[in-house]
Amino acid sequence: MDFYQGKVLRIDLTKGTTVVEPLNMEWARLYVGGKGLMLRYLWDLTEPGLDPWSPENPFIVATGPFAGTNVSTCSRVVVGGKSPVSGTMLDSYMGGSFGSILKFAGYDIVIVQGKAPELSTVLIKDDVVSIVPCAKYAGMKTSEIEAALRADFDPKMTAISIGPAGESLLPWACISNDQYHKAGRGGTGALLGSKNVKAIAVAGTGTVTVGDPKAFLDDIERMDAEYILTDDNYWVHEEGTPILVAITSGAGCQPVRNYSEGTNPDVDNLDSDAFQKIRVKKRACYQCTLACRNFHRINDVEGEGPEYETIALCGGNVGVGDIGALMKFNQQCDEWGLDTISTGNVLGLAMDMTEKGIHDFGVRFGDLEAYVKIPEQLATRTGIGAELALGSRDLADKYGCPELAMQSKGLEMPGYDPRGSFGMALAYASSDRGACHMRSFPIGAEVVEGSLPADTLDTSKVVWNIDFQNHYAFKFCGIWCDFWAIDYNQMAQLMKHLWKRDVTEEELAVVGDRIWNLGRLYNLREGIVKKDDFVPKAMLAKPFKTGVSAGKTIGSEHFAAVMDEYYATRGWDKDAVPTEEKLQQLDIDVRLPVDNR
Amino acid sequence: MPHVLISSKKCTGCHMCELGCSAFHEAGFRPSVARLYADVNPTTAVIKGHTCLQTGCAKCQEACPQDAIVTKKITVKPAGEFASKEKIGESVTGYVLVVDEDKCTNCGECYDVCPTNVIHEHPDREVAFKCDLCDGDPQCIAFCQNKYVYAVDLKVDKKDKELQA
Repeated sequence: MDFYQGKVLRIDLTKGTTVVEPLNMEWARLYVGGKGLMLRYLWDLTEPGLDPWSPENPFIVATGPFAGTNVSTCSRVVVGGKSPVSGTMLDSYMGGSFGSILKFAGYDIVIVQGKAPELSTVLIKDDVVSIVPCAKYAGMKTSEIEAALRADFDPKMTAISIGPAGESLLPWACISNDQYHKAGRGGTGALLGSKNVKAIAVAGTGTVTVGDPKAFLDDIERMDAEYILTDDNYWVHEEGTPILVAITSGAGCQPVRNYSEGTNPDVDNLDSDAFQKIRVKKRACYQCTLACRNFHRINDVEGEGPEYETIALCGGNVGVGDIGALMKFNQQCDEWGLDTISTGNVLGLAMDMTEKGIHDFGVRFGDLEAYVKIPEQLATRTGIGAELALGSRDLADKYGCPELAMQSKGLEMPGYDPRGSFGMALAYASSDRGACHMRSFPIGAEVVEGSLPADTLDTSKVVWNIDFQNHYAFKFCGIWCDFWAIDYNQMAQLMKHLWKRDVTEEELAVVGDRIWNLGRLYNLREGIVKKDDFVPKAMLAKPFKTGVSAGKTIGSEHFAAVMDEYYATRGWDKDAVPTEEKLQQLDIDVRLPVDNR
Repeated sequence: MPHVLISSKKCTGCHMCELGCSAFHEAGFRPSVARLYADVNPTTAVIKGHTCLQTGCAKCQEACPQDAIVTKKITVKPAGEFASKEKIGESVTGYVLVVDEDKCTNCGECYDVCPTNVIHEHPDREVAFKCDLCDGDPQCIAFCQNKYVYAVDLKVDKKDKELQA
């Protein structure tokens, strides 16, 4: 079989068994890989209404068909299951090398269910799979566990692992691969930790076939030169995500002090120029020619990152403009295994509550001494970490200030405030996993390119948002990275190699639409409904006082009307449920349980 | 003669060279059988490239009791760009060391002496495999395409020039 390995590795930790099943090729045809295929498996794996913390909740790692080839950016994997943070479908992505190496070991997907009786690692070396107790790895940080596995298992292995935060079941604990690559959002690390799994390590020596390798090599060489190694796209390599720091602050949409303003007064200390001054090396994910990742060194800290989201949320949003402190904080989050977006949100909320006199957590905006201790306190549930571990929604609810929690569907918000980019409100509210910028990214058009106005939200934006969501739902099957602004035409050129026939742009858009609707069905099945499609009120009704976005708001009523238009344009009914007609049209073979409609 | 080197300083650790190499020589992408590799430590910024120095080293050839490592004339003309192109020019003619699979008995003498660890037993055939510069268009160079990186480079050493003369 070309591209796919045709195998799914099923691991039952409770029984201690490992089984290899054939990949469901009908699902592979309909859902391609990555996000789509993961979701289709997820639907069948559990009964409706699953408790995300239960052993049955699957931890799924799915590759795309191009993992293990030389298609740039496609080493990415999706980590899926039901999110311990939001209760929605979980799909969190990361680069690194795990996807490629898993394919060389012979698998497209790994599904882990059950719970190990004691802390364990799953070791995969080609067709030899074992579940090994690993008490000695308990409490290890990311760099330590990876070094231990290289020494104890295989020097050429790569692993996904949790830090102490995952072991202590911090809801937004993440998993790491090659230390600096994180499937950050939605609690991937908490999910793996709840299964008593410290790491899944893989070493692979097999082959990914592509049909005619020489013809494929020629086509990829051409596409790399034409589409990604272009003058327009080299910013990815030269600057990477820090390029956004100056842009979003300048547009008044960077979160500052718990999203109370959109323009960061310390932007010059944390922008791309500042990071270029401390840059020591460029690094790449496996099978990616772009090499967007930046190795920095300052004081006693050396390592990759921080990326834009971390700079925004763990910088300006908590009143920190000190690049050294931010580097330290980022390193600590990496090592303890925390999602920096949620961490920066929760900390910003606690600081805001302290400043406003709602509750004194002993941390204030810009307090560097308290700040650098936070990752460890969260991971170990010590000090204020014990209470902050509730997450933004529950922490704010506990103290009667839900309006201060910047989240949607329970997932803390990334680094783009909709008051400076109106489309982001629609993107967040209609997102399938809660506040997320990776489903639709209107800010790209509204702020970065300026091809759409930033302060309108109308029918054209609704259609634009839907097209983007479908496009990205398909893109995340590949799994292509955001740094390849790949359009349907380019994806069709690659899909032609996979499907061995001519491929139209339209049929790929249908797959994207199918996946988006399946995700909606899953969330509805799990009780996430229309009322959960919201953004915090402040973002609709409370304008900023300073910066270019000052004085502008979408308005709550207008936003509700836009959401209704979104549902209708999607082909969903008044309760925001996909219609039978829509499901048939998209060839979706699952339906909501009768009592759930 | 001509040989490939990976600049440890410039290499980003993307492994594209290994992927291109294996796809050219094997039936598909299989970096475990690549003729060169980058040793990447994810935690630190340290990367170490491993490539065959060909006739400039020739320890495998000296060690081979079967004379199975053969000196073969080759013109290397990479289709892609590379850092030393200005110095070397579009192409260079010289010699590479290739394995004569009819003579090779897989005795392993060469595996032990290779200073860069790039000659091994092939997992599917009981013979040694090593870099042959892809019939003159090294795929490792072709897929080190990022102009800010160009870590995989074509080199010609002094010994090459002596042989040439």
